[in-house]
Amino acid sequence: MKLEDIARELGLIELTPEVSAGDEAEIERGYASDLLSDVLAHAPEGGVLVTLQVHLNVIAVASHAELAAVIFAGDRRPDEDMRAKAVAEGIALFVSPADTFDIVGRLYAMGIQGTHA
Amino acid sequence: MTPPAIVARALAEGLGMIAVCDHNSAGNAAAVQEAAGTHLAVLAGMEITTAEECHVIALFPDAEAAQGAGAAVGATLGQADDDYETFFGEQRILAADGSERARETLALATSTTLDVDAAVRLIHSHGGLAIAAHVDRRSFGVIGQLGLFPTAAGFDAVELSRHIAPRSADEARFAVHGLPLVHSSDAHYLSDVGTARTLVHCARPTFDEVALALRGARGRGVGHA
Repeated sequence: MKLEDIARELGLIELTPEVSAGDEAEIERGYASDLLSDVLAHAPEGGVLVTLQVHLNVIAVASHAELAAVIFAGDRRPDEDMRAKAVAEGIALFVSPADTFDIVGRLYAMGIQGTHA
Repeated sequence: MTPPAIVARALAEGLGMIAVCDHNSAGNAAAVQEAAGTHLAVLAGMEITTAEECHVIALFPDAEAAQGAGAAVGATLGQADDDYETFFGEQRILAADGSERARETLALATSTTLDVDAAVRLIHSHGGLAIAAHVDRRSFGVIGQLGLFPTAAGFDAVELSRHIAPRSADEARFAVHGLPLVHSSDAHYLSDVGTARTLVHCARPTFDEVALALRGARGRGVGHA
């Protein structure tokens, strides 16, 4: 599933159109966690992360874990510094007013799986 | 954990200085200072829970500075509801003799709305020292919550829990941030007091000397007890 299709299906607010527009990469896996040490250790390469954390370290961790995108749940919004860093690292950022459970459920229903599926 | 009991236990453990760091409150520090008199140095502190659920230790020059910071922290917390103390424990504010003076009505066990950077800035603005608490723990330490040490936040020191042995290879893993390492007990019960300790090389057991020691200035420093 392409990032833009996911964003449209879930009604996500796109924070980094310069990254996600025209991105043809297929997203197959996802991860949800608010402990960034856990994300670093377990998130799948090329996957999408759903998190509540909006600390700048999200980008550093997503970059290390080679994630394609981050969805911030519960309408939490990163600041402009963080957005700029994400663009520089080529990581797409989205915001959703929905909570983590609902976002993950919908991603799963669209065929995006976890690390043990 | 009354002020006289804390002081007696610290003295019995041979400690020369302790810091009182209630979660998100500085309401009990002055009472412990009063109970200690001239027998034991007591720093007024606080353990702030940030918006990312990181614990940050604050040490202040005096109880007034701690209270000032405590008011700013408290302004970001919600009120405790009727069942609160059933689940999270009694939030007693004690007098120096151990008698109950009042009950804290804020929900101290919840997170503040301050992120790590804002918490460090708040502590510094009240003249305090900001220490990243128990960074070796999987939960509530800055590395556990944020994956990597937040170098830009401006911490003055890194605290290790009693589970990390002084001079061990485990300890060395945390010495990479260019910050002094302190060991403390994070005592939640009297029996925890003294289970971890830091040797402070200084002229007198005071806040100013601890600040110099954390900077490694004027021959002061921190090491292992």
